[in-house]
Amino acid sequence: KVAPPLAAIMALTELIEKSTAGTMFELSGVLDKGTQQLTDRVPNSIGLNAGCELFNLFVTVATHDLGVLSDFKDKLVRQGNQYIAEAALYSEKIAGFTNGFVKDGSVILTHSHSRVVMKALLHAHKRKRISVYVTEAKPRGLGLKTHEMLTAAGIPCTVVLDSAVAYVMDKVDFVLVGSEAVVESGGLINATGSNQIAIIAKYANKPFYALAESFKFRRLFPLSQYDLPTHGPGILPFPRQVPPPTSVTNGQSPSDDLKDAGPPVSPSAGSLARKSMSAEQIALNPEVDYTKPDLISLVISDVGILTPEGVSHYLVGMFAG
Amino acid sequence: MSSEQPHQTPQQGRESSQPLRSPKTMTKAERRELQEKQRAAKASAKASGQANKPATKQPEGGGEKSSGKPSGKQGSGGGPSTQAQTLHQRRGSRVGGDIPRLGGGPGGNIVSDLSSRSINPRGVRIFSHFGLQQKSGAGKGLIHPAVVRLGLLFSNFQITGANARCLATLITFKHVIQDYTTPRNNTLTRHLMNHLSAQISHLVAARPMSVTMGNAIRQLKVEISGVDIDLPEQDAKESLCEKIDNYIQERITVAGQVIAQSAGFKIKNGDVLLTYARSSVVEQVLLQAHKEGKSFSVYVVDSRPMLEGKKLLAALTSAGIPCTYLLLSAIGSVIAEVSTVFIGAHSLHSNGAVHSRAGTALVSMMAKQHSIPVVVCCETYKISETVQLDSFTKNELGPMNGAFSIFPISIPRESLATENTANLEILNPLYDLTPPRNITAVVTEVGVIPPTSIGTIHMALGRMI
Repeated sequence: KVAPPLAAIMALTELIEKSTAGTMFELSGVLDKGTQQLTDRVPNSIGLNAGCELFNLFVTVATHDLGVLSDFKDKLVRQGNQYIAEAALYSEKIAGFTNGFVKDGSVILTHSHSRVVMKALLHAHKRKRISVYVTEAKPRGLGLKTHEMLTAAGIPCTVVLDSAVAYVMDKVDFVLVGSEAVVESGGLINATGSNQIAIIAKYANKPFYALAESFKFRRLFPLSQYDLPTHGPGILPFPRQVPPPTSVTNGQSPSDDLKDAGPPVSPSAGSLARKSMSAEQIALNPEVDYTKPDLISLVISDVGILTPEGVSHYLVGMFAG
Repeated sequence: MSSEQPHQTPQQGRESSQPLRSPKTMTKAERRELQEKQRAAKASAKASGQANKPATKQPEGGGEKSSGKPSGKQGSGGGPSTQAQTLHQRRGSRVGGDIPRLGGGPGGNIVSDLSSRSINPRGVRIFSHFGLQQKSGAGKGLIHPAVVRLGLLFSNFQITGANARCLATLITFKHVIQDYTTPRNNTLTRHLMNHLSAQISHLVAARPMSVTMGNAIRQLKVEISGVDIDLPEQDAKESLCEKIDNYIQERITVAGQVIAQSAGFKIKNGDVLLTYARSSVVEQVLLQAHKEGKSFSVYVVDSRPMLEGKKLLAALTSAGIPCTYLLLSAIGSVIAEVSTVFIGAHSLHSNGAVHSRAGTALVSMMAKQHSIPVVVCCETYKISETVQLDSFTKNELGPMNGAFSIFPISIPRESLATENTANLEILNPLYDLTPPRNITAVVTEVGVIPPTSIGTIHMALGRMI
């Protein structure tokens, strides 16, 4: 499977290829509709949007020497395909850069599952001995997938509870995470839990490296968690009406309730014994979070090893220069 | 006192009409005494003279640096009374230096105040570099009446704010250019430059130039020097006026509208915003967001002596935005409820620091402490190539009279400090510096950028600022 931004570029390239638009205007209309459909289909469209923005950049640059429409379309399709082919090699480049930061015997902490991080870890494993802690990354539990893949490759790997990150942080040499998007402020948008890990790493003075291909860089500027496009009133609200306390309806005295801590007495008390969150409860929680730039040590990408401040320099040069 | 003995020797030396010993051969104390005597002589000549003394200001300014040290060493134990007298006068003229002489009234009071002031070397020495201004002699070269008027408006603080001052300056210079005629055997490009420089010095003497004025004037000079030498004068003047209009339109008016829109995206329904003093750009942002139908409330934080927030409050409430007004000292009580802080800037420095109305640094610091995003709204023409690290090196002292003496009627006038008295020196710096670590985002007309990326703006603009 492919990273969302690349998938978006692929989709849009194909759209252009198959489109029968006759004029430039029609073509841009088709593109807009395509972008809209992509972003509407998926609840978390941050990565896809990155790809769409990049594709728009291609279009803008290509319109500078506008010739016949069919030539233009060919040029665009060719550029799209070329980019996709090149982008497949980006993660190799990043793995190479990351290798410079891995010392023999390093203990690395990573979060959830990321293709880029996987590649970097496997690359490092070829020449150096590393051990990896990976967080479970509930609710999707993708950390277990990482654990499987690393163990299969022969890298010693242990799954860490999300809440035990602070416990292991002092044992860790550095933290390596992937990204959904890297934004204008130099901050990181990644699976929920990354911000927490970054804060703990900062407190423990451990470096926090974010691996991101350049197509994940976006001209978005969230001021805080609550300024993310994925945030809304549906994320972690308080319930409108607090349900009445269940113990009263059974006519039991309060002292009995306290003794009956374990086995459920009333039918509705069965919910108290549930061990994991219900699907509705999980749906109220955010999928991605925003890590502020001052918590990130370096952003390692195919265009180079950037400081968080350097991300904006790159973005301005790329999109506005 | 040890200074007493050598006191005699240089005097005797002079009285016996021997050549004055070179300063190198005198002891430190002797040199000190010589300087004091020279200064006392000058000061007495000055005190008996007029209030307006542009010519003598320079040597005083030069001499005071060396006297600052000896007086500090002598301490408050005091020396001869003439010494104390001259120190007062020097200090007085320095601190009160930017009080306008042109006004007549306030300037006249300075001389009488001086004698009642006591030595306060430590406090004033820190800010001693603020008040030093090059006072050009009135009437040196022909000053256009519009420029004289503008100078008065500036020095009386009737036009304040980086944008307002720059706009006023550019409009005035348009008048100057239109009324200008090239003298014989001169080219417009060269002579107009000199002509304008004289006007500019007059304005700078009235009040130190803002960064916006500086950038605009620099651009104007570039345009003037680029004028085709073969162009007839009227055409050249018209093209210059047109260039000025374009500059205003592009970099102030339209830039403000773009910023209002970009910053508007950061305002959501139900937000509680906070702003400090009065920024014309922030006002635009808030009014635009309100016009777009967003519902939010605003805390307007204000501070003495300028109390500019009142004007902003009037503008916002008449548009129907629910506002709360408070003074800077109360900000701790409300900051926890705020969702975003919007501030304006007098200028932005290349290291991302924001030079803005005094008090802004406090507001940003408080917001940062509570993890509240601080958004600076600023056009690109406010960017200064310099790097500033603290509020000290570059600032301006405001006067404590005239436009600044706005008092609530409920408090008796006598209890408020309105002017310097014995043992009391009033300092009123107008600006302070907000370091980049306290700023979350900067909204310019070319995009929303982090404060560390100010250097990329010229790339985005595609031209020199």
